[in-house]
Amino acid sequence: MSKIVILGAGISGHVAASHLRRKLAKKHQVVVVSPNSNYQWIPSNIWVGIGKMKSEKIRFPLAPLYKKKGIEFKQAKAISFFPEGDKTEQKPYVLAEYVTEENKGKQEKVTYDYLINATGPKLNFEATEGLTPGKNKTYSVCTYTHADYAWEGLNTLIQEMKQGKKAKILIGTGHAKSTCQGAAFEYILNVEQELHKHHVRDMAEITWIANEHQLGDFGMDGMLLSYGSMTMKSNEMVEMIFEDRDIKWIIGAGVNKIEDGLAYYETLGGEYKTETYDFAMLIPAFAGHGFKAFDKNENDITEKLFKGFMIVDADYTPKPYEEWSVKDWPETYQNPNYKNIFAPGIAFAPPHAISKPRKSKNGTDISPSPPRTGMPSGITAKLVADNIIDSIKNGKDSLHHKGSLGNMGAACIASAGYGMMTGSGVSITTYPIVPDYEKYPKTQGRKLGKTFGEIGLAGHWLKLALHHAFIYKAKMRPFWWLIPE
Amino acid sequence: MTQRISKYQRFKMMNPIIQFFKFIYLSIKIMIIVAGGHGGTRKVD
Repeated sequence: MSKIVILGAGISGHVAASHLRRKLAKKHQVVVVSPNSNYQWIPSNIWVGIGKMKSEKIRFPLAPLYKKKGIEFKQAKAISFFPEGDKTEQKPYVLAEYVTEENKGKQEKVTYDYLINATGPKLNFEATEGLTPGKNKTYSVCTYTHADYAWEGLNTLIQEMKQGKKAKILIGTGHAKSTCQGAAFEYILNVEQELHKHHVRDMAEITWIANEHQLGDFGMDGMLLSYGSMTMKSNEMVEMIFEDRDIKWIIGAGVNKIEDGLAYYETLGGEYKTETYDFAMLIPAFAGHGFKAFDKNENDITEKLFKGFMIVDADYTPKPYEEWSVKDWPETYQNPNYKNIFAPGIAFAPPHAISKPRKSKNGTDISPSPPRTGMPSGITAKLVADNIIDSIKNGKDSLHHKGSLGNMGAACIASAGYGMMTGSGVSITTYPIVPDYEKYPKTQGRKLGKTFGEIGLAGHWLKLALHHAFIYKAKMRPFWWLIPE
Repeated sequence: MTQRISKYQRFKMMNPIIQFFKFIYLSIKIMIIVAGGHGGTRKVD
């Protein structure tokens, strides 16, 4: 009998747990440890943040589902890792602390045979002074609670605009090294359309602010894509959309401080500037959770497991941008020092950024970190689960399932406005996610036919269809496994 | 505001009949790209 412990119940953790439970006999134990009581479908937070969807529609409680499916659930947060056990516990374990009322503060050694670290990122708001969701007129859509607050803030402003107030709206990245520009891109387009629907668009000046050196970089070094019968660069496509919607933009901007209605930022050119606003949604920097690890003698071995995020089978040798290779990216998400530990999704440490790193004239790093989206999180979680299942069934370590971000496609269906007949979406599909300049040297590292963009109502329907399909899948309803990650 | 998307393009983007077929096309194409397989990038000798 094997015991598999999964830390985190987001997209990655939940996908791993559900596949493990479906494919492994009941004698094997699947345990999920997560401080969150709910599963949430994060991509739909955008619609919560514009008041078009209630947060109840994008989340559901995990405990009843896991009980029904035979998955053990501990509502607790991981504190530290003991991959060799300790003086009193022979088995490897994770020290977890319960967060529920009845057990609050109680700690438990959760032993395992296999460990999947799917803890995702820490939303590092503290890295930007004054950037706190709901304060200083800044908001976030990173969680459903944040998105609820964002809608409250936006709705208040809309009501003020209806009374004649002119307003400035600032949306983008809240730190020089933020990622997830795609989420901010979706939100700015949705906010713009909502203002139209409330007949207050002409009362608002909407501005995009981002650490990208070019529009449409998205932390992926931009892309060359097919658009209809044309081939265009992603910056041209985003510029077209922004100009068409009268959205201004500030790029190459590292936001470093927030005061009430005032964002301070440094540009790649080295200038220090400010931008005023009445409502802002700024994506924070992401960071690892600061976990510690200890060996059996309780010596600190954190550097064997973590490099901010978890160390996996990537090539972490520091090298200049020109020498970066698609082969640097991990394939199995296995920790090289402890072969029974894996980190799919957002929990693994990337070998480097995808976008070219840039510094301001003052030496400040201002460029996007690598984006982490739901689709690759699900795919990498499934392949990790499949390797563990094979290892258990065959009785020997198996790593047949591989999935590098350099050999994997992803679709980013960016909502550009909500409505069955008036909605819109920007569908950008890219293959591979990490550009492979050896395979596709003339098309910016990506396969042109498989890297394409589309704008229109179909994009909205597609995003809505994905919302329903993935919540159905997450609830493990009949034949859920037929829906791909 | 600079109109970068022509009225005809906008009509095509928002026409539900055209977009219905586009929806089917996109669903299949995205499914093929995303679910069409993935693998490693390092060759094993």
